[in-house]
Amino acid sequence: MSTLSQTTTRPVVPQSRTKPNHVAPTTNRRSWIKGQEGLVFLLVLVLIWQLVSSASFSGSYLFPSPLVSLKALWVSLPELLRGTGASFLILIPGYLLAVVTGIGWGLLAGTQPVLHRLFLPFSRLASPIPPTIYIPYAIALLPSFRTAAGFVVFIGAFWPIFLNSAAGAAALPQRYRDNARILGLRGIEYLRVIVFPAALPHIFSGLSVGLVFSFIMLTVAELFGANAGLGRFIQLYADYADYPRMVAGILYTGIVVLFTTELLERIKKRALFWVR
Amino acid sequence: MSQFASQSLTDSSSGWKIDGVNFSYHGKAVLSEIDLTFKAGEFVCLLGPSGCGKTTLLRLLAGLAVPDKGTLAWRNAPIDGPSLERGVVFQDYSLFPWMTLAQNITLALSKAQPTLERKWRRQLADEYLEMVGLADAAEKYPYELSGGMQQRGAIARAIAIGSPALLMDEPFGALDPINRAKLQDLLVSVWTSASPKKSVVFVTHDVDEAIYLADRVVMLGASPGRVIAELEIPFARPRQRRALINSAEFQQLRRQIEERFQQDVIDRIEEDSLVASNAEGI
Repeated sequence: MSTLSQTTTRPVVPQSRTKPNHVAPTTNRRSWIKGQEGLVFLLVLVLIWQLVSSASFSGSYLFPSPLVSLKALWVSLPELLRGTGASFLILIPGYLLAVVTGIGWGLLAGTQPVLHRLFLPFSRLASPIPPTIYIPYAIALLPSFRTAAGFVVFIGAFWPIFLNSAAGAAALPQRYRDNARILGLRGIEYLRVIVFPAALPHIFSGLSVGLVFSFIMLTVAELFGANAGLGRFIQLYADYADYPRMVAGILYTGIVVLFTTELLERIKKRALFWVR
Repeated sequence: MSQFASQSLTDSSSGWKIDGVNFSYHGKAVLSEIDLTFKAGEFVCLLGPSGCGKTTLLRLLAGLAVPDKGTLAWRNAPIDGPSLERGVVFQDYSLFPWMTLAQNITLALSKAQPTLERKWRRQLADEYLEMVGLADAAEKYPYELSGGMQQRGAIARAIAIGSPALLMDEPFGALDPINRAKLQDLLVSVWTSASPKKSVVFVTHDVDEAIYLADRVVMLGASPGRVIAELEIPFARPRQRRALINSAEFQQLRRQIEERFQQDVIDRIEEDSLVASNAEGI
């Protein structure tokens, strides 16, 4: 059917009738998976996990089966919940401090060119340093493990929150700035009423990254010297070579992080309702 | 073509005075030697093609930009920054999207009338919204509103500030013709009902809009932006849209304006080719 005349003279109806019969089964096969691909992938992973753990090879004790791990999770749930409490007692103050200082200082640095120039060289130097390397020093420097861990959680969350808040404030659309100037909005009021809400999309990406960083910092710090907490739990049972419990701890930590980030995502959706 | 003669007005002390204003952006001249005087209470349209610097001139009048050379004055005082004296409505709907219409207006009221109690602010905001036909939309956010409704809200906010001057930068440029006509009439009715009348400077590239709205039209030519003509619009108010637009006078005025713009373009091209042919000789 290369030319127009051919298509008009030759009847195309029979062709189009036969085609759907060939196509239909494949579209049906696709449709039940559609939207469930992620779940299917997870099931495949669990299946592989089961296969690996049931195979016998040297070191297979390192791979407790899904069922064994789930049982271990059930048994250690009280201990894990206590650990979660201990972990959150470090995480929440450190993260909240980073939220307050990161957003506040970020909005200032993003709107005041002087502060931006003042702080830029330092932030260029300090922000790329992997925050985990502060852990030994923080433990040596600060009076208790809790303050040291809280400090590294703060460092881990501060930079993404600060950098995103500053970028969001600096990217304030001209029209909002003009309108605010005409209305005579200045100082704290300008930051609170205009810059902060306008920068919220940026701020929330900083908050999400910062939250993940806090969890990393927290669990790594707990591997070092905690006497309670999620990282401590995993470290302890690894030392005892109780791998079912260790795997349960990893799974449990993943679920906790998932729920926490999901909570933040919910808050974000509510706060950013006005963003189309 | 006596209408195009630029008149010097003597009773302009309380309006706008633009004196020898030049403005350039990244080394490129945007406005060159602008001299204009508008009376208080006058409805002025700045009319010109894109690139004529009409928006820049508006920003200078608002105090949002500073000229390289020359002075701008409002009510005999130099313009040295934005002020609640001069409300501005921009083309891109400039309401804050994280606030409801009512919140947008009460924020403006809280700055314009700081002593006003909160509940009175809200009541005033409702009155202004009712004035622009948005009484039912007070609790709506801008994203829930059409472009025309958002722009009504922006007008309500500018009016709520109570400023004696109103600067408008193609406020209806993004609207469909019907909403555009409705908002033009709304603007005129708001302007006429205020006492004393607000001094309006309205930027547009639409010839019909300029003639229909203005007491005086300032024609700006492009690159660099400069005044090419000024003309008084003689039509009595209130103006009837249908009768006016069909009238011979309106059509003639519009033709004159279009011819003047065309002539300016031809003049500019000839000047440029003169420069180019000179350069070829080098």
